[in-house]
Amino acid sequence: MKKFIFYFIIASLVFGETKKWDAHSAYLLPQKRWEMGLFQPFRYGYSESIEYSVHPLWFFVMPNFSLKISQSDFAGFTSASQYKMVYPTPFLNMIAKEGIMGIIAPDFQMPPMLGLSASWLMSKNMAGVNLTLNGGLDLGFAFGDLDTRSTIDIPLVYHRLGVYYNKWGIHTGLDVQKNLTQKFTALFDLDLIFLPMTGLAEVQIDPDASKLMGEYSLEHKLLLIWNKSENFRVLTGYKFVMGEYPYGSDMRLLPYIPMAETWVPIIEFQWARKKR
Amino acid sequence: MKKSISILGVLLILGCNDPFVTVFEDSSDAVMYEANSKSDSTYDSGGVKVVTWNIRFGIARFPFFGDSCGDDVILDDATIEENMAAIADYLHVMDADIVLLQEVDVSSKRTGYMDQVQYLLDNTNLNYGCYASMWKADFIPSDGIGRIDAGNAILSKYELSDAERIQLDLRTDQDGLTQYFYLRRNIVKAKIPALVQGAKDFYAVDIHATAFATDDTKQQHIDKYVETLAEIQSSGDYFVTGGDFNSIPPGADSTDFCDEDICSGESIHTDADGEPHKEGSYFENFSGEPDILVPLYDTYNSAIDTASYNLPEHFTHAPSTGMIDDTTATMYDRKLDYLFTNGIWENASSKTHQAVWELSDHLPVSAVFNVGGE
Repeated sequence: MKKFIFYFIIASLVFGETKKWDAHSAYLLPQKRWEMGLFQPFRYGYSESIEYSVHPLWFFVMPNFSLKISQSDFAGFTSASQYKMVYPTPFLNMIAKEGIMGIIAPDFQMPPMLGLSASWLMSKNMAGVNLTLNGGLDLGFAFGDLDTRSTIDIPLVYHRLGVYYNKWGIHTGLDVQKNLTQKFTALFDLDLIFLPMTGLAEVQIDPDASKLMGEYSLEHKLLLIWNKSENFRVLTGYKFVMGEYPYGSDMRLLPYIPMAETWVPIIEFQWARKKR
Repeated sequence: MKKSISILGVLLILGCNDPFVTVFEDSSDAVMYEANSKSDSTYDSGGVKVVTWNIRFGIARFPFFGDSCGDDVILDDATIEENMAAIADYLHVMDADIVLLQEVDVSSKRTGYMDQVQYLLDNTNLNYGCYASMWKADFIPSDGIGRIDAGNAILSKYELSDAERIQLDLRTDQDGLTQYFYLRRNIVKAKIPALVQGAKDFYAVDIHATAFATDDTKQQHIDKYVETLAEIQSSGDYFVTGGDFNSIPPGADSTDFCDEDICSGESIHTDADGEPHKEGSYFENFSGEPDILVPLYDTYNSAIDTASYNLPEHFTHAPSTGMIDDTTATMYDRKLDYLFTNGIWENASSKTHQAVWELSDHLPVSAVFNVGGE
């Protein structure tokens, strides 16, 4: 065990390959560079082997933190491990209320909950295409009574919070990125979140738990990116989500504007700087 | 080729988006149901028992925030199943041939996504059903309602055909955002071929009129209902009809139940002219509202006749949290639910089933249609 920890620490100190604008890959940000977007977290290259990130706007209502650590190359792939922590309770209790924006029924008080996630990322440039594979384990801890009726049954949200009800989940994904021209890049990604069949004993006690069994979400994103400079870029595209929910299967193209009943393209602005 | 595949891909993806909130045409097909295992569905002879019942989506007297002084939204699945089993049992006891239901959930967060139409078909001697949604949305971002699909249903021992959902006017006393996420009430109408009498077709018609509108939307709803029935009548066909009209009978002792229904913290009757009133508890929102049902009584036969309809033994509703005193619940204090026909009800067959007041905030009303009676 000691040997494993020692190896892990040594491996973590290996300088990783750095790259700009590549949040989902195994490449880390260059040291002292930061990047952030309207909808993306703030990322910072702490060193050549460590990068951290937080969602600054969410931080005060949903404390979160993520760490990416470079690892030794594996099978010819640049590798990194990523660890995430999130405490969603304050935000969930804010939206468990009466009236407009009461997303969760006011009947429920959400207990303290902690989400931990560990991922392994592997990236490689193959014939001009940047390929990243990732996979990992999600753990959800609820320190109190978490009522299964308090789930938020909408795409993107249900499966991310589902891990607290299911206690664990797994995720895996694939990112493909290709430079189309010097200024334009295309990004294709595919992510699978799975809440494996667990809690059979619990179903005997709580039939509602059966709704959480074996549910998956498949998310796909296609983006066209205009890299204006090293410090600014604009992204547009779509996100497609299909999955199994407590009410059955569903799929949706996002972003979606309800009152207009139409899909609109993602518009995302991202900025970066290097700290002196 | 690549271009064609790309275009096809985009079209397929764009096509995957159902509306977030479902809106309906003036007339559309109702959703058809069948019991998984059917009992005898052949009509032999004799009267046809008809029941109307607002089953309050199986939450019985739960203090739901939307229609009582409660502040709860989601009842646990086990209790809903118990309530639905009790409703199914009572429908079985009544041995109804045709059931007109209001407030039935088929895929709603608040009732654990139970398909209550299917449940009732599978747990009673009723075999066929049709359903018309009055509230269908992927997500209602208010009070934790979430996903909802609730509406009216007609259940029958005999096969249904030509089932139609008839859209009723939307409330005009709401802002655009509220209206977008709000209920779209309807009439559901279906033909029952087994009950055809000579050249006369036989229809069942079910309505749930607005409860909370403070404008004249209720008048529009009843007008559309009267028009729908008149069409059947003018075709020379028979109908049995009913539902939750959210209207009191003509000549009712009171048109103002605000004092009975007021919840703690609410403010009513503070202005010199007696306003404001509590939505859903006041029945004089517009000129003529107290007599809104007169055209129905004048034209058709009511299950509960005019001599009895204002008697307490025919009251069908009280809010689920209504209390006479600290310990005694108000079981019923007004009549909102009705049955009519353009044929004849069998003598002494009509009944308001007040014994089952604990199963909903509305009570079932039943009567037996006299087949062949003129």
